[in-house]
Formats: sequence, structure tokens, C-alpha cells
Amino acid sequence: MENSKEQNKEMSAQQSLDLISETLNNNRRCILQNSAKHFILWGTLLLAFSIVIYELLHVTRDLHWMLLWFAMPVVGFPLARLLGKKGTAVPQNVISSQLHYIWLAYCVFAVAISIVAMFEMPSCITLLLVALLGFAECYSGLLLKNWPIIIGGFILGVGGAVVAMLVRSEAQLLVFAAGGLILAATGLIVKRQYQ
Amino acid sequence: MFPKLDPLLHSELRLAVMSILVGVDEADFTYLKKQTGATSGNLSVQIDKLLAAGYITVEKGFKGKMPRTTCKITTAGQEAFEGYVKALKEYIS
Repeated sequence: MENSKEQNKEMSAQQSLDLISETLNNNRRCILQNSAKHFILWGTLLLAFSIVIYELLHVTRDLHWMLLWFAMPVVGFPLARLLGKKGTAVPQNVISSQLHYIWLAYCVFAVAISIVAMFEMPSCITLLLVALLGFAECYSGLLLKNWPIIIGGFILGVGGAVVAMLVRSEAQLLVFAAGGLILAATGLIVKRQYQ
Repeated sequence: MFPKLDPLLHSELRLAVMSILVGVDEADFTYLKKQTGATSGNLSVQIDKLLAAGYITVEKGFKGKMPRTTCKITTAGQEAFEGYVKALKEYIS
């Protein structure tokens, strides 16, 4: 079927149904490919911040470097905004809206828990954050009906929580580095799936 | 006897526009143009027809300094689209 619908021609019933089906699929693909960009962006940022903070803590033993986590949304949100402005504005559908809200909720939880942890440092903060990260990832996989993402989220959430219980100090940050990798991989899977 | 197909939807470009709008919250003119491959003039004419029928709403605004036209399907448009698809299926079966 030709890409341009310039002719406004009359169609048979089958042609009309084919056109509807093709348009719906193209539209869905375009929207979900756009969501993939955000997974890649936040995954890369999480990976980069985890490794940088891990190295800084490892070298200096100064816990104040943990405050650098707050720079992640400061860097991430303008970059995400810039990504949204680049090219044609892609609309939201039910799935992309749900993905947007679940990750926004995770971000709010992570920032709020981190602020509380600044005053009363709980030993379980990594466990909490990584379990929530895995949950958000798993839920994203369910929305996208994608088994690798569902399994990746489960491994990240449950596996990451177990590792967080077993390892201490800055080594826990490597759990987030793994989380960043899985998140970026999710973006790449979605991008490939809807190409 | 077969049901009558909605003549407003039984046109390639208008049907493509409605198929896009039925799956999204709203879509801007540039996106519709890109997805349908239509020219701005023709797309504007077809959007006006859908607007006149009450199938979509059109909002003109600005995104930064750039003018932006946003289209959204109405309840009447959704019902018309569902009726059209149902009628098509009856034709085929």
C-alpha cells in the first residue's frame, strides 16, 4: 500500500480495514520507539552516575559524594525534555502514558526516599530502591507484553535486593549500575521490536 | 442488507487521520502529516471536514514560538469510527 493518502480515493471494505490496521500499527510503532529513547537515556544516566559515585567513594571514602545522586534528575529531566523537542512531536497513547507515569512515580519515590536517607541513613535504602526499580521495569514489560523485559525486571528487583542484603558499603552501587544496564537494554529491545 | 458506510470516513486520508487519532490522546498537525504522507493543503481540508462533522476537535496554539495545531477525536468521532469498522466487517463476512 502506498505511503501517501493523497488521492482520497474510494476504497473497498478490505482496503479500508487494511488501511486502518496499517495506520494503527505504524502509529503504535512510532510511539513506542519514542518511549525507547527515554529508557536508553535514563539507563545510561543511571549507569554513568553509579560508576562515577562508586569510583569517587572508593577513592576518597567520603560519603558526601552520595549527594551527587540528586544531580541525576537535574541532568536527566532537561535532557529528556530536549529529546522530546527534537523532531516531530510524537503523541501519547495508553501504553506510553502508563510507562511515563510508572517511571515518574519511581523517580518521585527514589528522590523522596533518598532525602529521608540523608537524615536517617537506613541500611536498606539500596534494597528498597532496587526492588522498586525492578518492579517498575517488570511492570513496563507487562505493558509492552515483552518477556525479556519482564524477566529482566524480576531479576533486577529480586536479585538486586538479595545482593543489596549481602554486600555492604559502596559495592551496593554496582547493583544500580546493573539496573542502568538493564534499563538501557530495555530501550534497545523496545526500539528493535518496533522498528 | 448491508449497512451504509459513513461517506465521511470512507475516504483514504480522512480514514487514516481518524485511525491515528483513535489510538492517541491527541496528535499535532505535523505528526499527522508525517504519518499520512499527505500535503499540508489537502490535510487541512480533510481535517476541516472532520471538524465540521464533529468527529474531531482542533486546537490552535503555540509550542514555544512555533504555531501548533492539535487534533483530538471526540466521542461522536469514536462512535462513528467504531460503527464504520463494524459495517466494514459485515461487508467482508
